[in-house]
Amino acid sequence: MRIGLEVHVALPTKSKLFCSCSADAQEPNTAICPICLGFPGSKPMLNEEALHSSLNIANALHCKINKNTYFLRKVYFYPDLPKSYQITQLDGCVGLGGYVQLEKKKVRIRRVQIEEDPAKIIREDDYCLLDFNRSGIPLNEIVTEPDIESEEELREFVNELRSILYYAGVDIDKEMKADLNISLGTERVEIKNVTGIKNLIDATRYESKRQSELLSHNQNIKKETRSYSAESMSTVSSREKETDEEYGFIYEPDLAVYNTDGIGVLKPQIVSDIAKGYAEKYAASKETLKELVMFDKESLRLLEYGVERSKIGTVISAISLLKRTGSTSMSNDNFGKMLEYMNKGMLLNEDTIKALEQNRKVEVEKGAVSSEEIDKAIKELISQRPDLVKEYKTNPKAFNFIVGIILKRYKVSPKYVSERLAEALR
Amino acid sequence: MIIMEDQDFDRLLKVCRIRLAEKEREAIKKDIDEVIAYFDTLESIDCSKYEPAYQPIEIPSRKRPDKIEAFKHAGKLLENSKIYRFFIVGPKV
Amino acid sequence: MTSSIKEFAKKDKPYDYYPRLLEELKKLNSKLNMFSNISDISSGFPFSVKDNICVNQVESTASSQILEGYVPPFDATAIERLRTAEFSFLGKTKMDEFGFGTFGINCKEHPRNPFDEKYVTGGSSAGSAAATAVLKYHVSIAESTGGSIACPAAFCGVVGFTPTYGLISRYGLIDYANSLDKIGIMARHSEDIRYVFDKIKGSDQYDTTCIDHEIASKTAEKLVIIDQLMKGVDDKVLSSFDKLLSRLENMGHKVAHESVPFIEKAIPAYYIISMAEASTNLARYTGFKYGLKINDFSKGYNEFFTEARSSFGPEAKRRVALGTFVRSASVKSKYYEKALRLRRMLIESLNGVLKDGLIISPTMPIKVPKISEAEGLDPVQIYGMDSITAPPNLSGLPHVSFPYDYVDGLPLGAQLITSHFNDYALLDFTERWEKQFEYRFKYNVGAL
Repeated sequence: MRIGLEVHVALPTKSKLFCSCSADAQEPNTAICPICLGFPGSKPMLNEEALHSSLNIANALHCKINKNTYFLRKVYFYPDLPKSYQITQLDGCVGLGGYVQLEKKKVRIRRVQIEEDPAKIIREDDYCLLDFNRSGIPLNEIVTEPDIESEEELREFVNELRSILYYAGVDIDKEMKADLNISLGTERVEIKNVTGIKNLIDATRYESKRQSELLSHNQNIKKETRSYSAESMSTVSSREKETDEEYGFIYEPDLAVYNTDGIGVLKPQIVSDIAKGYAEKYAASKETLKELVMFDKESLRLLEYGVERSKIGTVISAISLLKRTGSTSMSNDNFGKMLEYMNKGMLLNEDTIKALEQNRKVEVEKGAVSSEEIDKAIKELISQRPDLVKEYKTNPKAFNFIVGIILKRYKVSPKYVSERLAEALR
Repeated sequence: MIIMEDQDFDRLLKVCRIRLAEKEREAIKKDIDEVIAYFDTLESIDCSKYEPAYQPIEIPSRKRPDKIEAFKHAGKLLENSKIYRFFIVGPKV
Repeated sequence: MTSSIKEFAKKDKPYDYYPRLLEELKKLNSKLNMFSNISDISSGFPFSVKDNICVNQVESTASSQILEGYVPPFDATAIERLRTAEFSFLGKTKMDEFGFGTFGINCKEHPRNPFDEKYVTGGSSAGSAAATAVLKYHVSIAESTGGSIACPAAFCGVVGFTPTYGLISRYGLIDYANSLDKIGIMARHSEDIRYVFDKIKGSDQYDTTCIDHEIASKTAEKLVIIDQLMKGVDDKVLSSFDKLLSRLENMGHKVAHESVPFIEKAIPAYYIISMAEASTNLARYTGFKYGLKINDFSKGYNEFFTEARSSFGPEAKRRVALGTFVRSASVKSKYYEKALRLRRMLIESLNGVLKDGLIISPTMPIKVPKISEAEGLDPVQIYGMDSITAPPNLSGLPHVSFPYDYVDGLPLGAQLITSHFNDYALLDFTERWEKQFEYRFKYNVGAL
């Protein structure tokens, strides 16, 4: 099986690609102007942030950056395309010839390009409804070579790509759209417009099954375009485009050739590489490290700070604890203190972590408790109140009552206290 | 003089969503053949050492800052369209 | 007085000046079809606008049926800049549909030449030229892609100035061919053109290709005749042009002859590029967001779009089909890309000639033709009429057409070309010329 992808993600800009309308509007047709509606007389002006962030992505995907990048008109007719041509890129695209490194292979990236999104279209029986808020939103298209050879590789690739995009500033909570081409035999089948990662995997699974069944029955696989239905979890041959379009690309004469020389790009963050490096250096689980930092810049910062100062096991526990408690603003210094406490075997609850974040030293001192102290308190309580232990044996509800007594004295995690108490009572 | 085959011409018209009545089709087909023959007179010239001039002058790489500025007369943009629940109505797909 | 703008400002106007001007103009317009609409102005110096340039809240159709009812909610940048206390928008002028034409006859109720109604105005800025020949105090904002200012200016006996590509913002211009379209100015006096040019030029946040550039006025005494451009010029035009050259020599100019290889190929190159771009620009006219509307949404979109697009005129259909052809994948390098390379080649050779001289020639190879004569020409013959205006337009070179003679009661125009950004040199030249030569007009509507 060979799979190639064309992935589309929205570039992180406030305004649209060629006009100043908001790229994030809710009510239909409220962020529109003559430019994104394609009104006669309007002209495009490139959003510099869109170019910069696309350069960051291309760079993070190890692409060769085009010194001069330019745009083309791709002509086709569809109601959602206001000018009946899309401003897009091909040869003069932002980046060419990169790759994404997976565990066992490289997936080559053919090109990275900028293009404008068409309007949102809702199909009704006798007409269609259009929302031009989406028209002109800057998209980044990433085209791979057909190097993906299994569902596992597809998952791994998508995960890596999302992480790279996340670190290049893309909002990965927004939907990722992809065109997928997949071939088990010699003919390529294209599946257009698959939305979301789950659908991408499901579509691949269905299509590879369909094609392998055809092959096992010695039937031919037809070269065609299919579409995926999430409801039936299957692909169907799409006959929507009756006329074969002749895109007839021409240079977009309303725009310039953009020189990329002077534009600084971010240092790319390939986080799975970083995780791998730490895992090897400090003998930790690569998977655990990846899970912590692939999609979390804050955690990566704390990890990089922490491993220089503490055992990696403690750093991982500390970051996991912060994720669990929803901490978002732990400075490096305070994280260092947190590691000190934890290395001493002290326990920190949510309130104490908050106090630490906000530099409320007295509360931190009060809140941080060592595990020995908790054990000691439990033991004392059991020996001082045999009545409670007796009641617990007939009424399990008394357990929570005992936990409550401990928690009144120590503001630590109820779960931890429950665990320790259960063990002490055994 | 026939430069373009009939079926290619019909496909061309379909690609640009132009339909011609039979009489108009004949006349325009003839014109188009003649014009293409005229364009073909470029064939003898070698200008391969010249880079394409996309525009006649050098256009600087000017971009706009990523700032939102709402269009002042947005309401007027929809006056020309049929609207249903804030959506623009378009033809069936 | 060499500036009608200044003259107008100084003169006292009777209380009913504007109503009378409008009445007279409307009456004449029913005969000459210069304007598609006329505004009831009551102050200021009147300016008209070619119908492919957007004026806020005024129907702007580029004289195409498919844009009927399109009322843009914005002003073109040039119009916005010209709307000051001293200038008033008078109306939209008729043109060949989308600029597709050389004679001004490719539209409904096309304009007629004010010197003689049986004759064409020239195109595509047909109404702008006719209005300039009719109104005493007036300038027109016109547009040229391949000669659409120079040609009608010559045929209507007015001054038509096309600046260097990119000096006047195209924001608000209904595109014909974006890499060729240039907004320019028509007037009866070059000084008025200079005045308006200075008001509307300069970079614009809404047009990437519009630039700020210092504009020079390097005058040259050498006037260059490109021999190939003179081939095919009508004998009567030639003999009249020779008289012009003698007059110019008497004014101190030296005339030289030079050759520019393949300059005659500027026409096919121009038509290839312009049609390729036009066919993409016209793709947006699909009948539901602006202009002409198809009401039956239940037709499939292909059928719906095709029905809307059947309202293009024959020349628009021809150019859309040809433009789609020359950029199609299998022949693109042979036509579209080759034309772009040829453009670079011609710009380089013309720059060589223009280094120390101005190129002069008749504007059009023929005298003003009758409407009936123009109607009988086939497309290749018509395209051939752009032999002299195509080279500067393809190359984005500034050029001006000015009247220099009257034969059989109809004007003849000459064209002067200079190098990129030396635009003022053209106006310096024509201002000097106007001191020697008085332009004639049949009508002087609004005279004081």
